[in-house]
Amino acid sequence: MIQKKVCMIGSFGVGKTSLVARFVRSIFSEKYQTTVGVKIDKKVVEVGDKQVTLVLWDLAGEDALTTVRPSQLRGASAYVLVVDGLRRSTYDTAIDLQKRVDEAIGPVPFFCMLNKNDLRDRWEVTDSDIEALRAKGWQLLYGSALNGEGVENLFRELTTAILKVPNA
Amino acid sequence: MSLASPLPEVAGQDADNELPADSYQRLRELLLGPEQEALASLQQRLDSPDIRAKELSGIIAEAIVLRSRRDRTLQNALNPLLEEALRISVARNPELLGDTLFPIIGRAVRQSVAHSLRGIVKSLNETVERSVSLDALKWRFESLRTGKPFGEIVLARSLQYRVEQVFVIHRHTGLLMAHASRELDPAQESEMISAMLTAVQDFIHDSFAETGGTELDTVELGEFNVWIQHGPKALLCAVVTGTPPPELRNVLQRTLEDLHSNFGALLSQYDGDTESTAAMRPVLEACLVGQQRPERKRVASRAWLWVLVPAAALLIALVGNWLLQRHRWNQAVENLRGEPGIVLTSEEKSWGGYRLTGLRDPMAADPGEIIHRAGLDPAKVNARWEEFHSLNPRFELPRQISEVKVVIERQEILFRISSSQLDPEQVQKLADIEANLRKLQGYASAAHRKLKVEVAGYTDPTGLEEKNAALSGQRADAVINALESRGLSPDSLVPVAMASRNPIAIAAGSSVPELSRRVTFRVLLDDERP
Repeated sequence: MIQKKVCMIGSFGVGKTSLVARFVRSIFSEKYQTTVGVKIDKKVVEVGDKQVTLVLWDLAGEDALTTVRPSQLRGASAYVLVVDGLRRSTYDTAIDLQKRVDEAIGPVPFFCMLNKNDLRDRWEVTDSDIEALRAKGWQLLYGSALNGEGVENLFRELTTAILKVPNA
Repeated sequence: MSLASPLPEVAGQDADNELPADSYQRLRELLLGPEQEALASLQQRLDSPDIRAKELSGIIAEAIVLRSRRDRTLQNALNPLLEEALRISVARNPELLGDTLFPIIGRAVRQSVAHSLRGIVKSLNETVERSVSLDALKWRFESLRTGKPFGEIVLARSLQYRVEQVFVIHRHTGLLMAHASRELDPAQESEMISAMLTAVQDFIHDSFAETGGTELDTVELGEFNVWIQHGPKALLCAVVTGTPPPELRNVLQRTLEDLHSNFGALLSQYDGDTESTAAMRPVLEACLVGQQRPERKRVASRAWLWVLVPAAALLIALVGNWLLQRHRWNQAVENLRGEPGIVLTSEEKSWGGYRLTGLRDPMAADPGEIIHRAGLDPAKVNARWEEFHSLNPRFELPRQISEVKVVIERQEILFRISSSQLDPEQVQKLADIEANLRKLQGYASAAHRKLKVEVAGYTDPTGLEEKNAALSGQRADAVINALESRGLSPDSLVPVAMASRNPIAIAAGSSVPELSRRVTFRVLLDDERP
């Protein structure tokens, strides 16, 4: 059994916890997020013949008062940046966060989850915004915590990416 | 002054040139006057400790600040001085330091004491509980043998705790490296628990970093204590139930050190593969220690069995016997209370036996018999009965019968010689007899008893016996006929001819003829009921 630490990062209210909840059954209360700043979940993902236990660190939402602490990122094998398509500000935050995470733990695989795809027609994040991210080399995925779209796929892609990293 | 010393020599040479001796001096004063004054002033400043001290006092604080910012030399230099100063201060005036520390020392002591007490109270309770047990004796012996204080041994032996689970958590990633549990199929959440502990650890570290001492050592979760030991590359967490002894900390520390020295490379480059850490498991399993009382208690109770079982049997026998005796006594008392003609006024049971007092109708049943029937030895009962006459109909009737019987049997009808004729004065007696016989008949029928009254005729010893027999029969018949003529039913009256038997005599060999010629009555009652 291989374990990997994965962080869920993004602005407050983008749906990080909802995405994780779609994926796993939690044992810890969400209260931990407001106190300790993180909620832990785990999910076993099978890719090929390998079983990987993803230990998901669902970090408290980034806002004016809460910032992601480097100690929480330490040792992560990958991370997910979650953007709420309905709010342009979360897009900017994601770009800023990616920079800070990269500084804190160096280059590790990450995916940008463009959440709330079920409300695509009301998005503030434009196609050109998305193109800009793609141009930066980001791996982009669309999904919806509401209907579960793209969630399984996200963690599968993530696991595959982790296993591709040499020495992983 | 030293500047001036070579001058006299020069002056001596100059004197040959006939220059005035003080010219140089004057020249010097002219040329160097201000400098000389400045030098003198400097000299004075250097030579005078007062002035130097005054000057230094102006800058010493700034100097210390500057220096302490640069490095720690000053602190190191001052350290022994401060320690010594503190020592002198305490020696000279302990109250001063005591007063100064007072506001904070209370809090520190309270915290420390509360922490220690929590662990000790539970142990002490058990100690007191078992202070007279076999264990206590064993510990006394151990204390004597090893020279350790008794209390220490008691605490060490009484502490109840058990290490339920042990985790090794990779410090850098918070990933679980290895896990050992007492349960065969431990909860599958250990990976999450590891991550959560790490997150909590980080949270505390980040939140209290400024106050220092930020390692999380213990987490209390209801009945569980999580003891965390920190190493440079890994944490060792033990989930413990009960009150663990401080020595457990040493066990964990040693284990963690072993892990670091034996698995150093793995700890440095752990990539989350739990198979690579399988070799850690045996090391962890050694940490699953604990002391449980029940196991030792079973052993102890077996030793007591030899004493306890006979004692319990004896106790049961004694109590059983006591209960039986009490039951019998209660039964006897109850029966006595229910018995007609017996009134219990007091009854008590003492160590020696039983005591009864009360009233008893002479016609009532024998109390000794009642006690015997209840299963008790009447000899053990000390009873005092006052006689009384019960108004119970059961006793009333027999008593009345016997009273009337006595009266009737006392009566006699006397006759003249050779006569069976009733004299008038004897006839008068018949009225009384008749009345009593009627009464007797009534009582007998009420008591359902068959009445027979023998009416016995007698003669005096003179004359022929055959004649006497006939005469005595005639006398009995005469009385019966007289009674019958008075209206009394003769059914129960039976004439008996006694002839001259049983003469009335005053002394042996003599008789009183006039009293012997008589008719007497004997009342016989048979129980009608079968």
